[in-house]
Amino acid sequence: MNVLIVEDEKSLALEMDEFLSNEGFIIEHAWKKASAEEKIFVNSYDFVLLDLGLPDGDGFEVLKQLKSFKDRDDAVIILTARSAVDDRIKGLDEGADDYLPKPFSLNELLARMHAIIRRKHKLEKNEVNIHGFLLNIQNRTVSFADERLNLTKKEFEIFNYLVLNKNRVVSRMSLTEHVWGDILEVNSDSNFVDVHVKNLRKKLAAVNPTDWFETVRSIGYRINC
Amino acid sequence: MKLQVKFSLYNAVTKIAIIVILGTIILFSLDRIAYNQLDNRLIKKKGKIIKNLNDAEIDSLLSNEQTFTDYNILKEEFIILTDIPDNEVDSDAKIITEKREIEGDIEFYRILNYKFLYHTNWYKLELGESMTALQSIKNSIRFYMLVVLFVSLLVTLLTDFAFTNFLLKPFYLIIDKKINKVDDPTHFNYQNIRTNTDDFKILDNSINSLMRKINTLFALEKQFIANVSHELLTPISILSTRFENMLNTPNIPVEHENKIFASLKTLNRLKVIINSLLLISKVENNQYLKTEQINIKEELNDIYDDLEDRILDKNLTYKTDLKNDFNFIGNKALLHTLLINILNNAIKYNNAGGEIIVKGEIKDHHYNLTIKDSGKGMSDELLNNAFDRFKRGNTEENGFGLGLAIVQSIAKFHKIKVEIDSEENRGTCISLIFPGTN
Repeated sequence: MNVLIVEDEKSLALEMDEFLSNEGFIIEHAWKKASAEEKIFVNSYDFVLLDLGLPDGDGFEVLKQLKSFKDRDDAVIILTARSAVDDRIKGLDEGADDYLPKPFSLNELLARMHAIIRRKHKLEKNEVNIHGFLLNIQNRTVSFADERLNLTKKEFEIFNYLVLNKNRVVSRMSLTEHVWGDILEVNSDSNFVDVHVKNLRKKLAAVNPTDWFETVRSIGYRINC
Repeated sequence: MKLQVKFSLYNAVTKIAIIVILGTIILFSLDRIAYNQLDNRLIKKKGKIIKNLNDAEIDSLLSNEQTFTDYNILKEEFIILTDIPDNEVDSDAKIITEKREIEGDIEFYRILNYKFLYHTNWYKLELGESMTALQSIKNSIRFYMLVVLFVSLLVTLLTDFAFTNFLLKPFYLIIDKKINKVDDPTHFNYQNIRTNTDDFKILDNSINSLMRKINTLFALEKQFIANVSHELLTPISILSTRFENMLNTPNIPVEHENKIFASLKTLNRLKVIINSLLLISKVENNQYLKTEQINIKEELNDIYDDLEDRILDKNLTYKTDLKNDFNFIGNKALLHTLLINILNNAIKYNNAGGEIIVKGEIKDHHYNLTIKDSGKGMSDELLNNAFDRFKRGNTEENGFGLGLAIVQSIAKFHKIKVEIDSEENRGTCISLIFPGTN
């Protein structure tokens, strides 16, 4: 899948590049509004990661132009440090698929991209197999050997997020932010995530060993596969 | 007190004072003039009588004394001549006011008393003039004077009031339209109020120019906030993505991994602080709309879902008692933030196994929402600075001390009054007093 990163901040764009390349995405860059417009005119992308504050104009104009092309369904995720509520509403109104305020976690970006992929392509196979556990993203259920596990909403969210970011350390912080949202002043470093993870692990381990579900010292968790 | 009322009161007081002074002067001098005239007449009359005096006249006067036939019918004046013993000293005429009974009627008279020698015989001459007429004239003059003065007082007061009203009208318009009714300088009406009073023109223009200044400052601040967001959050973004990528590098030493993670945590802290400060300044800068219908009950349920884990984690009892259904027009996201901050504090500063009681009711035409916890409470010193930025209570949980500052700015933005009542080791009770009942 090819991704166009429209971002004038080079170091940020390159970090995103590194992360998404590892995930198997093919990355192209546009540093300015003009080159972004040129690129979207020539190619179509699976994802356009769009920064709003570009040196030669507003990212919204790129979005508008992209939406004016017919028969294109490039998914657009707005990435911006302008965290105004208006911008969020405006962006989604103009046809952006998602909106992620800076600074964001790369894990979160990936989770959002996966959500869009599922939504856009209506994957026939909405199930992910992790060591025999079948994760049904559509129905939000987890089963093992045709037996459904009784997970709570939050436990499913955590599992799903870890699976999306498999083979990667997911910090408690980013997990909290994903599951509980960006709640201001709620301390993201407390141990209540651990409680949920502990319960989740207990439920999974009750049916099959979960040595692939790793606790990474004081940082967070990782699902290996 | 309004300027116009003050003017009118001042006018009334000065006019009443003038009337009182003028009235007493007129009445006093009226008295003096009347007596003077009466006395002059009496003296003139005496001179005439003395000059024309002869034996026949004396006899007639002396005999009249017994009968009073010479009195005119209205008994306005009299002449009495009496024979008095000799050896009297010649004296000046004396004038006195005295009550006299004449033919059964008692009246006040101005009486001239004069003793004189005529052909070796001493006589006393008394000339009297009734004061009744004078008194009635005086009374009527007094009455008319009062009426005239009173009417003129009333008329001038009314005209004064009307004129100051006319004069001050532009002033009140300026006060009302340009000061009282302005709560958002971005929608200020710069049109001048029509007046030909220079002072008001100056006032109007100064308010306009002040407002222009405030407006520019507002715009600048907005711009500044936007810039700060961008300039501060972008580097944080770069750092955090870089650290994340580093964490994903295979085979990095454990101690490095921990340090990278610690850096990520620090960055996150920075992010939360910046976002909180930005939120406060944006709220204080009126950059949010207040147009959404918010149901407090639904909002509280949502928040409970978000916080359920922490409540259960601390084994807290959470009770709600919402007596009235309450809808509020405001900004949903902001109100959510406000309530979640209060409830989060109630959890954070609570003791394990404690309780949180949320109560909603209409009190004195205001909807009151109180959130009470049985936690650590605040000392008086802490309570005084509770709303200050970066103040926080002693707790193992590390917040940033911005929660209540956020609460206050959002509450102010929605015109919600916040009251905190807290006792150390007993708990804190926060009351939100909403501006209406529905």
